[in-house]
Amino acid sequence: MLSIFKSIPTHMDYKGQKLAEQIFQGIILISAVIGFVYGLIIEQFGWTVYIVLGGFAVSCVLTLPPWPMFRRNPLSWQPALPETSSESIPKPQESKRKKNK
Amino acid sequence: MNTVLSRANSLFAFSLSVMAALTFGCFITTAFKDRRVPVDIHVAKVMLKNVDDFTGPRERSDLGFITFDLSVDILFNTVFQTSNYYSPIFDWNVKQLFLYLSAEYATKSNALNQVVLWDKIVLRGENTKLNLRDMKSKYFFFDDGNGLRANKNITLTLSWNVVPNAGILPLVAGSGHVSLPFPESYETTKSY
Repeated sequence: MLSIFKSIPTHMDYKGQKLAEQIFQGIILISAVIGFVYGLIIEQFGWTVYIVLGGFAVSCVLTLPPWPMFRRNPLSWQPALPETSSESIPKPQESKRKKNK
Repeated sequence: MNTVLSRANSLFAFSLSVMAALTFGCFITTAFKDRRVPVDIHVAKVMLKNVDDFTGPRERSDLGFITFDLSVDILFNTVFQTSNYYSPIFDWNVKQLFLYLSAEYATKSNALNQVVLWDKIVLRGENTKLNLRDMKSKYFFFDDGNGLRANKNITLTLSWNVVPNAGILPLVAGSGHVSLPFPESYETTKSY
């Protein structure tokens, strides 16, 4: 049962994760400001809460599923090396990976 | 942020923090408001009886009956008068008001006695203009002895609790109270 869920790919790449975080923070902060002003004007705090909940729902839809826009910068991994018996190979490989980042 | 669950977690935590900040803002915008309102209390009739108080001391105690008129307009406060539906006392940090009329007086045994005679809950959207005539007290005005008879100074005050969404529970005393003397003799007619 759990393995079915685990098999669904939900990952984002690093830039996508940053974008998703900026998107939901922006949406919730904007809805909070709008809700605060609106609730202050009509003197009902309930509407403030509803507007923030609305922003929460919108940002859930936008950032929870891994939309394609969050996967535009996939990491370029090194191609898998064939298995070798010698021990000296892993060291230059690690330094290469750091350079690529 | 790499899985749906971790994103949902941070989204939820952030929303809760924002909501807490908003609630604090709601509290701080209303915390320093002056909610006092002029109150007009007029006592029409005072009656005093000496009856057995089965709940208190095993003696006859003083029981007062007060008929009063009360007029108060709690929508007096005008800070943000933009809403047509709710009067400004019901700002966004007020759920309801609990009004109560209390009598304060001093006796030989106690320097300060406070008895709640009448109360009323005013919900959001209800009429905040109270204009009551010939009201009888809701609760018994029992003294714990014989301190009511010939008491020269019994003060009636209307106060109210403001029940907020967030923050403190302010207790507002209406400006305007009435002091009255109580009769020297007991009413003896037994008419129930």
